[in-house]
Amino acid sequence: MENRRDNLLEALKAIRRSIWVFHLNTGSCNACDIEILDVLTPYFDVERFGIKPVASPRHADLVLMTGPVTRKTLPKVVNALRAVPRPRLVLAIGACAVGGGIWHDSYSVSGGVEGLKKVLEENGVEIDKLVYVPGCPARPEAIIYGVAVLLGIAKPKVKEEVVEVK
Amino acid sequence: MVDFEPSKQDLEEVRAQLTEKLGHIARSVEYVPGAGILVEVPVKRIREAVKIIHNDLDAYLRTVAGVDERPVKGVFSAYYVFGLDSKHVNIIVVAYMDSDKPSIPSVVDIAPSADWYELEMYDLLGIRVEGRRLYRFILPEDWPEGLYPLRKDVAYNIRPEPSLRSREAISGPRIPVGPYHPALHEPEYFELYVEGERVVDVRYNGFHVHRGIEKLGESRFTYQQVPFLAERICGICGFVHSVCYTQAVENAARIDVPERALYIRSLVLEVERLHSHLLWIGVACHLLGYDAGFMHAWRIREKTMVLAELLTGSRKTYGINLVGGVRKDINRDKIGKVLDTVKWVEDEFKKLVEVITSVPQVVKRATGTGILPKHDARAYSVVGPVARASGLNRDVRRDYPYAAYKEVSFKVPVYSEGDNLARLLVRVDEVLESIEIIRQLLDQLPQGPIMAEELEIPEGRIGVSSVEAPRGEDIHFIITGKGRPYRWRVRAPTYQNIPALKVMLKDAPLADAPLTIASIDPCFSCTDRVVVVDARTRKRRIISLRKLSKINCIGCLI
Repeated sequence: MENRRDNLLEALKAIRRSIWVFHLNTGSCNACDIEILDVLTPYFDVERFGIKPVASPRHADLVLMTGPVTRKTLPKVVNALRAVPRPRLVLAIGACAVGGGIWHDSYSVSGGVEGLKKVLEENGVEIDKLVYVPGCPARPEAIIYGVAVLLGIAKPKVKEEVVEVK
Repeated sequence: MVDFEPSKQDLEEVRAQLTEKLGHIARSVEYVPGAGILVEVPVKRIREAVKIIHNDLDAYLRTVAGVDERPVKGVFSAYYVFGLDSKHVNIIVVAYMDSDKPSIPSVVDIAPSADWYELEMYDLLGIRVEGRRLYRFILPEDWPEGLYPLRKDVAYNIRPEPSLRSREAISGPRIPVGPYHPALHEPEYFELYVEGERVVDVRYNGFHVHRGIEKLGESRFTYQQVPFLAERICGICGFVHSVCYTQAVENAARIDVPERALYIRSLVLEVERLHSHLLWIGVACHLLGYDAGFMHAWRIREKTMVLAELLTGSRKTYGINLVGGVRKDINRDKIGKVLDTVKWVEDEFKKLVEVITSVPQVVKRATGTGILPKHDARAYSVVGPVARASGLNRDVRRDYPYAAYKEVSFKVPVYSEGDNLARLLVRVDEVLESIEIIRQLLDQLPQGPIMAEELEIPEGRIGVSSVEAPRGEDIHFIITGKGRPYRWRVRAPTYQNIPALKVMLKDAPLADAPLTIASIDPCFSCTDRVVVVDARTRKRRIISLRKLSKINCIGCLI
C-alpha cells in the first residue's frame, strides 16, 4: 500500500508539466464538454501548462469524465477506463459525473462516478486517484483548479466529512 | 400575452379545408387555443389522414407524441403534430388505440420523417407500429423486453440489473481495433458504408445520451421545476428548451406573461444563438483543417459567454425561466455593457468572416459538398439552417412568432445551393442578424413586472410550443396533469435533421463526411464516432470523426 502511494506521487510529479488528457463523455448534456473545450482555446489556454488532449485513452495520463454514465454507455465507459494506463487518474467534471446530477435516480442512468465505482470494482478496474469538480456546468476555472488539486499543486476546497444517515 | 395566435381568417380557412377533405374520416375537428386544430380519426384510417395533410395540404410533420392515457381515458393515443407554415397553424391528428394491445399503422412511407417517432413509440411505450420493421432504438440492448418506461404504471426510477450479456461484453475478450481505439470517445456514432472512397449508405446508432428526461418531468418534478430540467437537455442550447417548455405550459393554461419577461427571454435566446453559432463556425474551420479560424472563433465566443453570465448569472444553464415569466431582471447598467460587448463581437466577427471566406481550403472544400436538394429537404421536414440552406424559407421566429419576436424586424437568410458552404453562410448571416435583434430588443425593452401574478394550470389541456433554436425548430408538446405535466414530449432539432444525412452523404467522398455530418450542427457531443464499413468486403474500421478529418488535436475533445 505504502509502495503504491509512493508510486502515485512519483507519477504525479513526472506529469506535472505535461499532462495528456482524454475526454470521456458518458452521456452529458454538452455544457461541461464545451467548457472543457473552452479551457483549451485562447482565453484560458491551458496548453501553456502542458495540458494536451489526446484521442485515445491508451495515451492518456488523465481522464476528464463528464455525464451521468447512461445505461447505454456503461459498458463502453468501463472499457475505456480499463484502457487507461496506471496510475489511472480521473477528474469527474460537473454535477452529473460527480453524483448523477438532476437525473441521479432515473431509469436510464447509473448515477455518475458513484454508481460507476461499483461496476468498476466488479470488473477489476481500479481508479488510483479521483478528484471531483462539481458545478452545473463546472466553470473553466474550476476545471483548471481541479487538475491542480489532482497534481497536488493546490489544496481541495472542501474537507472530507462523513455524515451518517439513520 | 399568450403565445402567437393564428388569425381568425386563416383559422377558418384551414378548418373548412380540413372538414371538406377529412370529413369522411374525422370523428371531430375542433380548434384548441394554444395548440392548434385537433382532428380525431379512427386509428385504422390514420394513413389516409396523414396522406391528405402531409401531401395535399403540404404541412410539415413537426412531432409525434405517443401517450399512455389509460389512467384518464382508458386508451393509448398518438398525437401527430403538423405545421402549416403559410397559415401559422398547427394541425394535430389524434388516434386512440386499444389499451391491451395498442397498435397503429405506419405512415413512414408517406412522411419519411415519421421514422424515428414510430420507433420511439414502440420502444418507450410498447405501441406496435404495423407495416414496418421495428427494432430497439432508444433503450440499451440489454433492457428487458416488455418493460416500457413511458407507460404510467412503470416507475421512473426502476433499475433493471444490466443483463449477463452486457456483463460479458465488459469482461469477456475484446477485439482490439487498431490504433483507432473503439472506446467511447463520444456517445453517439454513425456507420458509414463505403465502396472504396465513396460512401454508399449511412446508419445512425445513437441515443447514448438518453437520460429518461420526459419520464422524470412526468413523475418526479413539478411544473416550476421542469424548466430547470428542460434546460439540462442540452448544454449548448438549453435555454431554448426551457423557453419552449414554459411556453407550452403557458399556452395550455392560457397564462399571460408580462411583456418585459418576453423581451428578456428573446434577448437571452439570441445571446445563446451567438455563442452556439460561433462555436459551430469554429468547429467547422477545425474540421476543414483551418485551426487558426477555430481558435479565433472561440476567442470571440468567450465574450458571449461572459455576456450570458452578466445577464443571467451563469455562463451556461442559465436557470432564469419559470412558467409565467423569468427570475432575473436587467438594469440600465447591464444594457450599456451588453451593447458594448455586442459591438466588439460584431467587429471581430466581421473580420473573422472576411478571413475565413478568403481561405481557399475552406471555400473549396465546402462548396458543392454534402448537397441536400430542396425536395429531399422537404420530404424529411428538415429544420433550421439546414432547411434554409436548401432553399426552404422556414423560421419559427417569423412563422410562429413567440416571446418578443413579433416586435423586432429581421431577415431570414435563405440560400438555394444546399451545400456545406450555404449552411456556413446561413449561420454567418444569422450571427449578424442576432446582433441586430439584440440591439432592437434592448432599445424597445418595456418596463413592468417580470413574472405573472396568477398561475393556474388546469388538468387535461393540450399545449404546443416551438422555438427556433440555433439548430432549428425545437418543439414541445404538453398535456397538463396534476401538479406536473401528464405528458411532455420534447423534439429537438437534430432529431429532425439527422435522417436527412443519408441524402447528403450518399455517393460523396469519405473525406467530406466529417464536415457534412458537422454541417447540420448536430448537438455536438452526439456525433463523434464514425464506423466505416466497406460494402464489398464487409470489413469494419472504427474511426473517430476527428481522426477521419486527419487532424489530431483539440477538436477531439468535443
